[in-house]
Amino acid sequence: MTELFINAVVSGLLLGGFYAAVALGLSITFGQLDIVNIAHPTIVIFGAYIAYILNETFGLDPVLIGLVFAPVFYVLGMGLYRIYYYSFERTGQESLSGLAFFFGLMFIIEVCLILTFGVDYRLVSAPYIGQTWKIGFVDFPLRMTVPFIVAVVVTLAVYFYMSKTFQGRAIMAVSQDRLALQLMGADPVKVKQSALGIAIATAAIAGALLIIIQPIEPSVGRLFIGRAFAIVVLGGMGSISGTLMAALVIGVAESLISTFYGPSWAPAVSFGLLLLTLAFRPQGIFGRA
Amino acid sequence: MANSIEVKNIDAGYGSVKVLHSVSIDVQDGETVVILGSNGNGKSTLIKCITGILAPSAGEIILKLDGQEIDLIGKKPEEIVELGISLVPEGRRLFPSLTVEENLMLGAYKESARVNIEDNLDMVYEAFPVLKERSRQAAGSMSGGEQQMLAIGRALMSEPKILLVDEPSVGLAPIFVSRTIAKIKELKEQKNLTVLMAEQNFNQAVKVADRGYVIVHGQIEFEGKDAESLSNNEMIKQYYLGL
Repeated sequence: MTELFINAVVSGLLLGGFYAAVALGLSITFGQLDIVNIAHPTIVIFGAYIAYILNETFGLDPVLIGLVFAPVFYVLGMGLYRIYYYSFERTGQESLSGLAFFFGLMFIIEVCLILTFGVDYRLVSAPYIGQTWKIGFVDFPLRMTVPFIVAVVVTLAVYFYMSKTFQGRAIMAVSQDRLALQLMGADPVKVKQSALGIAIATAAIAGALLIIIQPIEPSVGRLFIGRAFAIVVLGGMGSISGTLMAALVIGVAESLISTFYGPSWAPAVSFGLLLLTLAFRPQGIFGRA
Repeated sequence: MANSIEVKNIDAGYGSVKVLHSVSIDVQDGETVVILGSNGNGKSTLIKCITGILAPSAGEIILKLDGQEIDLIGKKPEEIVELGISLVPEGRRLFPSLTVEENLMLGAYKESARVNIEDNLDMVYEAFPVLKERSRQAAGSMSGGEQQMLAIGRALMSEPKILLVDEPSVGLAPIFVSRTIAKIKELKEQKNLTVLMAEQNFNQAVKVADRGYVIVHGQIEFEGKDAESLSNNEMIKQYYLGL
């Protein structure tokens, strides 16, 4: 029983680390910039398909592909913000039209992926997938452990970027008081553009991690929409460290529930926790008050 | 190293509402100039024009910087900060969920201010010890007086040559009003700043002013060449003190 419990906690932590990678980009866009990028999980799937193609064609390591494509996605994210800014934000229509924009973007990406790859499940091959380390009675399947390590490193890197660099602090400040930020000498449009770039760059990495963990098909992203938003809110809007903690909490809770009560209850965990949190601690479990 | 601002005949307003009518003021190097006026007379609008937040519809605003003349009209707020003009905005406008220290660090966002950031942070902490005690606290959780100190400290982090202060007394307890204004004077002398302050608290403002203007319904009604002429003016007594 103890062994089962500890194994469930460990596999929950590993899963939670990966959730953090998916929620990280949303924590920046939704939490810090007030941009409801509902297409984020689908962009993660897009990243996963890039990892799939290059892995299939050249046999490259998926993590490496994710890291190499992060700068490419950064540029894509900047372009996306340009479109968003000129179409909606500049004229103050971002709240509803912006949401519709990202909703549409989600479908366009999904349909393009379906037209190109069909709806069959795709997967990658790498030497560590299928291996499991054992420490005592605790299992560390590398299929989960490698994504966990990469996700935590990336999340911490973003955390330190946000809190220790001028550009990062400007990103944290931009949605709180845009004019005050201008008075500090920063151009809010450029700040937001680079922030959305970073957010989308993390999707390239999260996508590569996803396809290591499980086979994917184009609509898998939808499974992550609710969970990722729940993690961002649980962690406290805009708090990167909170996002990581909340992702780990959700991962462990899902793992425990599916181990002891059956996997069909697992999807209810994130929203259950979200409801409880909103009722008793609306700023999020780890949020700044 | 002479820095000055000359505002010549500017008109400005919001949409069809004209607020400023041909306003002219100047601030010379090393002076503390106050713009006096009660609510709704155009003090903040004037400050907004100088800092690039609002574009005047007529007139010119010239910054003289070490002999160079720069037209400020049409420049964005972030460009004007780069030129050495910093604003302590009305209502403080801090970043409430960021910590005190993060707010101060953002004050030094512009490239030229990053070099001396450590020294400037020490300077601000020395001037306002309470900010050091609360450096890790969220800015929004502090009292109004402490927030005003943070707003001043944040503006100083950008190493301004000219400091604009918009209504430092708003929302503060009387004891903090006099402390804040005294602190502005002290820092001005210590850092050789040029200060332009918009304020409605007449008695406090004239304590630190070298010169001042009285703005009424968007026009400069009176220009006092020294603090004495401001405090002994009939019109001021009438408008402000109700005598």
